[in-house]
Amino acid sequence: MNKIWVILKREYLTRVRNKTFIIMTFAGPLIIAAFYAAIALVITRDASDKEKKTVFISDESGVFNAALDSMGNYRFVQKKLEENEARKAVQNKSAHAVLLIRDLNLYKLDSVTWLSQKTLSIKQSEELRSTLSEIVYRKNLTQMGLRQSTIDSLRPKTRLQMLEIDQEGNAKSSSTGIKSGIGFGLALLIYLFIFLYGNMVMRSALEEKTNRIVEVIVSSVKPFQMMMGKILGVALVGLTQFTAWLILGGIAIAAIGSAVGMKGPAGMQQTMKTMPAQNTQEIQKIMEQSEGLDALFNLPYTQIIAVFLLFFLGGYLLYSSLFAAIGSAVNQETDVQQFIFPVSMPLVFGFVIAQTVVFQDPNGPMAKLFSYIPFTSPVVMMVRSPFGVSWAEIAISASILFLTFLFFVWITGRIYRVGILMYGKKPTWKELGKWIFMK
Amino acid sequence: MHTLVEIQQVSKSFGTVPAVSEISFQIPEGSIYGLLGPNGAGKTTLIRMITTITRPDSGQILFQGEPLTEKNALNMGYMPEERGLYKKMTVWNQLLFFAELKGLKSAEAKEQAKYWMRRLDIEPWAGKKMEELSKGMAQKVQFLTTILHQPKLIILDEPFSGFDPVNAEMVKELILELNKNGSTILFSTHRMDNVEEMCSHLAIINKGKLALNGETGGLRRKKFALEYEAGFKSPVSFSGQDFTPVKETTSPDGRQMYTFRLNNEDEQPALLKACLNAGNLVHFTELLPTIHDIFVQTVKEQQ
Repeated sequence: MNKIWVILKREYLTRVRNKTFIIMTFAGPLIIAAFYAAIALVITRDASDKEKKTVFISDESGVFNAALDSMGNYRFVQKKLEENEARKAVQNKSAHAVLLIRDLNLYKLDSVTWLSQKTLSIKQSEELRSTLSEIVYRKNLTQMGLRQSTIDSLRPKTRLQMLEIDQEGNAKSSSTGIKSGIGFGLALLIYLFIFLYGNMVMRSALEEKTNRIVEVIVSSVKPFQMMMGKILGVALVGLTQFTAWLILGGIAIAAIGSAVGMKGPAGMQQTMKTMPAQNTQEIQKIMEQSEGLDALFNLPYTQIIAVFLLFFLGGYLLYSSLFAAIGSAVNQETDVQQFIFPVSMPLVFGFVIAQTVVFQDPNGPMAKLFSYIPFTSPVVMMVRSPFGVSWAEIAISASILFLTFLFFVWITGRIYRVGILMYGKKPTWKELGKWIFMK
Repeated sequence: MHTLVEIQQVSKSFGTVPAVSEISFQIPEGSIYGLLGPNGAGKTTLIRMITTITRPDSGQILFQGEPLTEKNALNMGYMPEERGLYKKMTVWNQLLFFAELKGLKSAEAKEQAKYWMRRLDIEPWAGKKMEELSKGMAQKVQFLTTILHQPKLIILDEPFSGFDPVNAEMVKELILELNKNGSTILFSTHRMDNVEEMCSHLAIINKGKLALNGETGGLRRKKFALEYEAGFKSPVSFSGQDFTPVKETTSPDGRQMYTFRLNNEDEQPALLKACLNAGNLVHFTELLPTIHDIFVQTVKEQQ
């Protein structure tokens, strides 16, 4: 135990004192904050109407004149033009584009032409088409004697509420989208952590081998203690960095947010007001449909957090023991790739499972199976957890994960003991197997 | 003298290649034991088994009379032939890490590190990282990491290879000092001059087998015929005497030198008497084979 502590201490302190670590820990949140600031800037700039482009609109009927003003970045100017005049206007850039409407048929809108130097994107042309259609639709309804307010009230405000009934018969509102999002996001975080810090463990084992330190070390500690100390030490480094990022990132985002003028949801609404009206409507529509906040409050948070912590740690521990085995088996960093791919495959496969099986049926047999297999469980169980998983399942799966980890640290220790003394050629999988059982 | 390490019928092979086969010898407590052998003889394999890095396929090793366990490794200091330390770690932290790894308490480790750094005049380098040090410096630090925990048994694999002459001399003196303070030393080398100067005992290993072992002085007498050299001011005749010289030379300073071979040490007084009778004797000495001679001869005999 004491030996593990000595090794853990060294792994932790040398990394935390390292300049690159300190710089990354402080620069990380700055980079995130800068990214956030850039997005905020783009949004606020888009919202300001400095660069509205002039579009001539030639409409004999006069139906569209006023009603088109809601269209995005364009300033519409009425001007009666023949087609050749319109072409000339676009050609000599006196207008960005010309909207030419002739012989307006209110039941068949087929004589509208948009002239511009560059065609509209699919999204823009779709927006234009639906705007024109909406205007004519309203015009028709008005002609049938309906008032504007009546037309507005005819379109029903649609809310689809989803209720989840638990075993005691209580109802909770839920949202599949939010659940999948949270589960997937957290699983991605686990995945990133495993790779970032698993790699660190691997390089640490490799460093001892290439610098020939290892012979002295194995004559002083058991390989199991060595591996355990290394893996736990690097885990602590990772946790330190993550905690620092969370705190610093929070501070940075808050600071920049207040500087740009976004103060939480209130600030968001303010920003939305400055956006073109149509966008605001869309966002509001989405928010109403998803019933986001309500569903967000009803998630099984204790369980999600417990699963995250358990499988975050367990997944990292298991995979970093595998990475450490690679590090002690090969001789140089360039040989690493051959082994990394098959070792990390199951984790990537976990995401495939998550996207197909779990999203279709989070509590189905396949989803359950893969949340028991220790190589995929960190991802699959995480994705499942927002949908509600029984505590018994979590306990069993986590136990399997941690036991497998212990087993693999032992295996890795064996590979380490033999592998570190083997210099020269790259080992094969068969040789690795032999090393495990070597005396 | 107690036996510190006893190697009993130890064998180890890698796949089908035997690296060490049925080697037995004892390392007495307080000795400086030299392990000799050509490259690939199995010295490093044997050392790795003593340091518990690998285990013998058959046979066993006793440490202070008990079967060797990983705990015993804490009483050993091992400097492998391939040397290296953590590049990014400071000298100070490095010393403390290895000392604590060998079971020293933090306070003890600090005390020892301070003492030895002062002893080797490397105090000013305490805060430097290994990658900033010269090779000679790094070697000193490496040696310190081996002995800081005051091990009972210090094992050095080719301790003089890679050291410059000044550092090699320093290591030699330190080894002798540590031995005087009670540490038993086992080292492998192919530098014969060091063996003659330092080792109280030696073992020669060739092709994985023990070719020869014992006390250095005893080996030099036992292994080869006894030879004596007598020098005279002028040529003398031994005809009609009990002893006939096997070799006759003239030394650069004009002395006439005769070499005699005896079958028994008891004959030596008679030989000396014969020489005194023969003429103006100015020089009489026992000719011991050098370790180099023993080594070369032993290895040759086996081929």
